[in-house]
Amino acid sequence: MKRRIFLKGSLAAGTLAVAAGAGLLTPTRVLASTWPKAAFESKTEADALNAFFGTSEVEQGDQVSIKAPLQAENGAVVPIKVMTSLEGVEAIAIITIKNPSPYTTSLQVAGAGGLYSTRIKMGQTSPVNCYVKAGGKLYLASQEIKVTVGGCGG
Amino acid sequence: MASTKMKIKKSKGGGYEVMVLAKHPMETGLRKDKKTGEKVPAHFIQTMEFALNGETVAQANLGAGVSKNPLIGISIPSAKSGDTVTVSWVDNKGESDSAEKAVK
Amino acid sequence: MKKLVSLTLAAGLAVVGASGAQAISESEIQQEIEAFQGFFLKRFPGLTIEDFQDGVNALPQYEHRRANWELAMEFPPYEPEMERAAEEWNAPFKNGKSLNDCDMAPGNTYPVFDAATGDLRTVVGDINACLKANGEEVVKNVKRGKMARLIAHYRSQFNGERVAVDFSDPGAQAWYEKGRQFYWAKRGQLNFSCADCHVHNSGNSVRGDVLSAGLGHGVGFPVWRTKWQVAGKPWGTMHRRYGGCNKQVRAHPFKAQGEEYKALEFYEAVMNTGIPLKVPSQRQ
Repeated sequence: MKRRIFLKGSLAAGTLAVAAGAGLLTPTRVLASTWPKAAFESKTEADALNAFFGTSEVEQGDQVSIKAPLQAENGAVVPIKVMTSLEGVEAIAIITIKNPSPYTTSLQVAGAGGLYSTRIKMGQTSPVNCYVKAGGKLYLASQEIKVTVGGCGG
Repeated sequence: MASTKMKIKKSKGGGYEVMVLAKHPMETGLRKDKKTGEKVPAHFIQTMEFALNGETVAQANLGAGVSKNPLIGISIPSAKSGDTVTVSWVDNKGESDSAEKAVK
Repeated sequence: MKKLVSLTLAAGLAVVGASGAQAISESEIQQEIEAFQGFFLKRFPGLTIEDFQDGVNALPQYEHRRANWELAMEFPPYEPEMERAAEEWNAPFKNGKSLNDCDMAPGNTYPVFDAATGDLRTVVGDINACLKANGEEVVKNVKRGKMARLIAHYRSQFNGERVAVDFSDPGAQAWYEKGRQFYWAKRGQLNFSCADCHVHNSGNSVRGDVLSAGLGHGVGFPVWRTKWQVAGKPWGTMHRRYGGCNKQVRAHPFKAQGEEYKALEFYEAVMNTGIPLKVPSQRQ
């Protein structure tokens, strides 16, 4: 399988990684960046936010919405969809507070819309915080998703 | 092997939603193999790049906290009938796969 | 647990149980269908008979979990498998024919009573009989994987068609009684009948899970279950699910495609008369 070469343009990989890691991504064309290791390895939400967005300061409001079950059918496969009508979306991140590594997944946007859906693993009932960076500001929507013990299986 | 599947749906407000289903174990590195008792090494998709007509429009960053056989969905408001969407991913071992689909 | 009090159903069961002399008639079965369906339409007001296609997802008590299914259905996990199913169905036999040449009944009429043999024909049975008749190897695992895909491919072609099982023959009526007996009989260490959970306690919770209504059981099968997917074997037929349920009440599961589960499938299909098929389905 041919490995896709992600880097396009003139920026060296090292510079780009630093820029991406420090949350200095430009809002327009995002040259595909390296995997945000620091964010994924953060043990707290604040560390993860700072590592990925470069800030943890959140704007008030309800510009971000979440579609997710109130209760998971299966903690290994919990569907979640983050949506926003904000303009100039730069990135979306999903933080599962009670997971050992809270930073679960993110989307860096450079032409796509303000939508990110996926399925996450949850070890226990937890708030799931969904952040959207748009126009240089950080917005948040949060939902608690319950993970329970089942009764019937088969 | 093209095990990555893509579905493109028209969005209500215009544009399209793209959903990708990748076949991948997404191992955390913490699970023990029942037979050997050894920990199964971490093996998960790290980045997934979406492109519209060859131009990158998004990159998803995944960790082992994403479910096995990841399902990733984004929207591309500017997509039109006749465009081509490609997705390609790379995992922590350097393995990769891709898929391509035309917007109908 | 609230017992069904005034249903003709309970009365009918007492009669059959006691003497066993008078076999059930076609018109009595018809009355039982109306009583069964009427019970659920009353228990879940606002639902139409068609709503029961979606199983537990249709129940108001499932609101806190319904988004699991709604989000899954945006890209049904079985969709890529349905392409594979079509290929498997159309694959030519050594003799040049294919499953398309099989003698199958319309998908919404199964199980079908065969007066010549006195047996019930299921989709599984018909597929394997056809393979055998054409000199091909039968599908050994009749509960999962390939067989489930073949059933999904065949039955989905009848989506929207209302369940219409023929119970006009006395032989079919005997199978119906056997299935009904199974459904309402207590079994297992937990001493539950199918009805205890899926009639008397439908919509109630068993720890974190919600019990589905018996009405509609099987209309969406085969099923792609998240729980089975996590274990690596996502597809399941009705008889796979029956076995699981029996084990859940700590009863010995019966053999897939054996008499007990065929009779049970027949009874449930008759109770579903009028519900449109919606195959396959995705569930927890």
